[in-house]
Amino acid sequence: MSDYLSITPAEREAMLGKIGVGDVSELYADIPATLLKKKVKLSEGRSQQETFRAMKALAARNKNYDSVFLGAGSYNHYIPSVVKSLASREEFLTAYTPYQAEMSQGILQSVFEYQTMICRLTGMDVANASHYSGATAAAEACIMCADKTPKVVTFDNVNPDTLDTLGTYLSARKIELIVLPAKGGLATELPESVGKAGAVYLESPNYYGLIENVSAVAESGKAHGAAVILGCNPLSLALFKTPRELGADVAVGDGQPFGMPLSFGGPYLGYIAVTKDRMRKLPGRIVGETTDADGRRAYVLTLQAREQHIRRERATSNICSNQAHCALTAAIYLAAMGPQGLKDVATVCASNAHYLASKLESVGAKRFYNGEFFHEFVTVTPFKAADILRALDARGILGGLALDEHRILWCCTEMNTKEDMDAVVETVEATYANFV
Amino acid sequence: MQTLFEKSVAGKRGVTVAPPEVETYSFDESLLRTELDLPELAEVDTVRHYTALSKRAFGVDDGFYPLGSCTMKYNPKLNEEIAALPGFAQAHPLTRADKVQGSLAVIDTLNAYLAGITGMDAVTLQPCAGAHGEYTGLLVIDRYHKSRGDFKRTKVLVPDSAHGTNPASAAMAGFEVVSVKSDGDKGVDIEELKKAVGEDTAALMLTNPTTLGLFEKNILEIADIVHAAGGLMYYDGANLNAVMGVVRPGDMGFDVVHLNLHKTFSTPHGGGGPGSGPVGVKRALKPFLPTPAVVSTEKGLRYEKGKQSIGKVSAFYGNFGVYVKALAYIVTLGGKGLRASAETAVLNANYLRARINEFYPVGEQRYCMHEFVLSMKKLKDETGVTALDVAKALIDRGIHPPTMYFPLIVEEALMFEPTETESKENLDRAADALREIIQEAYTAPEKLHTSPHNAPVRRPDEVAAARNPVLRA
Repeated sequence: MSDYLSITPAEREAMLGKIGVGDVSELYADIPATLLKKKVKLSEGRSQQETFRAMKALAARNKNYDSVFLGAGSYNHYIPSVVKSLASREEFLTAYTPYQAEMSQGILQSVFEYQTMICRLTGMDVANASHYSGATAAAEACIMCADKTPKVVTFDNVNPDTLDTLGTYLSARKIELIVLPAKGGLATELPESVGKAGAVYLESPNYYGLIENVSAVAESGKAHGAAVILGCNPLSLALFKTPRELGADVAVGDGQPFGMPLSFGGPYLGYIAVTKDRMRKLPGRIVGETTDADGRRAYVLTLQAREQHIRRERATSNICSNQAHCALTAAIYLAAMGPQGLKDVATVCASNAHYLASKLESVGAKRFYNGEFFHEFVTVTPFKAADILRALDARGILGGLALDEHRILWCCTEMNTKEDMDAVVETVEATYANFV
Repeated sequence: MQTLFEKSVAGKRGVTVAPPEVETYSFDESLLRTELDLPELAEVDTVRHYTALSKRAFGVDDGFYPLGSCTMKYNPKLNEEIAALPGFAQAHPLTRADKVQGSLAVIDTLNAYLAGITGMDAVTLQPCAGAHGEYTGLLVIDRYHKSRGDFKRTKVLVPDSAHGTNPASAAMAGFEVVSVKSDGDKGVDIEELKKAVGEDTAALMLTNPTTLGLFEKNILEIADIVHAAGGLMYYDGANLNAVMGVVRPGDMGFDVVHLNLHKTFSTPHGGGGPGSGPVGVKRALKPFLPTPAVVSTEKGLRYEKGKQSIGKVSAFYGNFGVYVKALAYIVTLGGKGLRASAETAVLNANYLRARINEFYPVGEQRYCMHEFVLSMKKLKDETGVTALDVAKALIDRGIHPPTMYFPLIVEEALMFEPTETESKENLDRAADALREIIQEAYTAPEKLHTSPHNAPVRRPDEVAAARNPVLRA
């Protein structure tokens, strides 16, 4: 058995003596005897080396791929060594929430800088310190905006996990969720029948990778009295107009592309950014700048009157722990890449995706939707998606996501080489030949 | 210290990206933004910046961190290395189940361990933090009642000593919150509970040991009262560290449990997260857990989408990278190590309390569990030095302050949770530091009112921060 204790048997005896008991069990005197009698099954522990071996064996049961064309909310990007190295510094990793500002200026400043970068990417005024994921960020943004008119409108082309999470969160708050069908993969203007709504939620790029005509949807949403919440892969914002410019009131999304490994779906990084008028309705921690008793610049957790530890059941949200270390990781990633590096990554992703899409088209895997896209797109084939994906798997390539029997959602990033993409094209061509 | 933005110099480049091997794609200009105002730094500038920031932060690795209710125990390095293994870190969450049996085995194995530790029948790992777990557990409770045709259960009872997340989660989950008075050190006031409970009670949320660091002696009676009224018992696992491997919430009468893996199971808190807040339930509530569940089949582990599930509470399967660390922790300690950890956490808290009692009254002579609450009211009355002053003075002595002004039912509260990984020497040092501060309160209180004096900044003006918010550079 291993443990991480730091007390010798002699010290233990001395401590028990000081407390005035003979055995630790006496300290549990308040626990009813009937409970203590129920023995908890206690297994032996292992040495660190044995644990490492056992866990490594588990990890080895996952297949690692040479090239990944699967996205759909989890993106395989290059993580510069500087990001891992700095983020893993123990002062960041092993600290709690920065309740004690004087001892936590480093963490508070890193959050303040993160908030600033999210605001600059999205064009918004205020960002919170993070939320659990893009899905929960969207859900809480909807709750924030639908407090007066309990109705949220969205589309069936948003990420399905986000849609499912919206359903869970909104029904608990008795907020109606209307899911409109997309047309040609794109969100539409809101039909008259929708009536007055609290919020409209759309994504651009959407689940199919398509770039929405956000301004038109936003305008129609506003005509229904709705706040406009736009979900964005933040990497796309290196290139595209900001949510603010497109008419959004709230920007949300998942910051995983900024330096977080796939890690089987988490931990990732939900971000929420708003215009100034919604500042006091934001869920979660916010860091602000102030001065200390000597007039020096200092950072603190602020606007806490919104939060659960002050407002209890009247708080804007129940969130306490967030994804702080992921926000730190994203901030380091953005600082390390700089504006040019970030644009370059986004450009390579888009260039690769457009190359692959056109090559696939030439071998019989046509694009299912026509609109402009960022780094994901959907193909349709007369033969089975599963056959393509199986053939790719055999070559060590993780293909796209089968949306149904014949459609595949592909994703390209800067990690995919031309050789990998050509291998995908070749495999699809060969599958087609077998089919014919 | 300068911000990243003040250090930015136009034209500096960080990490370079290889140009595309294929034709560079250009989007229509109407789609493009015109500026991207991010800091421009060389890599070394970024390294120096974050290294300097890290020196203005304080983690468990830096020293004693007795932040009550937060269980700031040592975070084993082994677990970090395991979570970063390429097999785990490079696994895409939408990969076919048969190609990620390792990840699914992590989920399945950890579920079984946590069920065993808590005395529950089924577990979900999807919630990303403690409050998220509370929310999930309450939605499951709501769905359970409604599935039985019982639509009247609209209220959740919460003791006034509870964490703020309890009432906030209940409200988020659509319940009305009824606050139940606590009877001081005695815990839940049984008579008050009997008055509050009824056919509209969905659940009672309870932390046990309580937020005062005391075991709720009447727990079995409390559970009987709630169950007799048709309500369910919800266990806030914030304080499980005192009793893991010793007693199980499931045996105490709880029906739903959430755990904080970032507290009890040693995963680092990262300066505020990510955490992980698994929820365990008794058999009758299993069908309502978030989807998908991982189930064992003839072909291996597979996903199952439950028809009665509350749905998803976040993307994918929650904070996988966090809970793989918790699994490594449990595998290393085993049941015996977990029990030894709980016992030592209780030993350490009682020892520190006994040491403090040498020079400041710690209250009723009843043994505490893994944490205890000290009221600085006497000190304040006699010297004007507050709990806040004492906390800030600890910073000058290299100790992270305890939780302040919580629970709300104790005046001038300081809540100490030393955890099991602290040594006797460290506890002695902390007691000595506190003795010194309390002596100073009687001789030179002025210095304490303006502490800390050795930190990068002195007390920030929080009122100004909230009145004129500056929330971005």
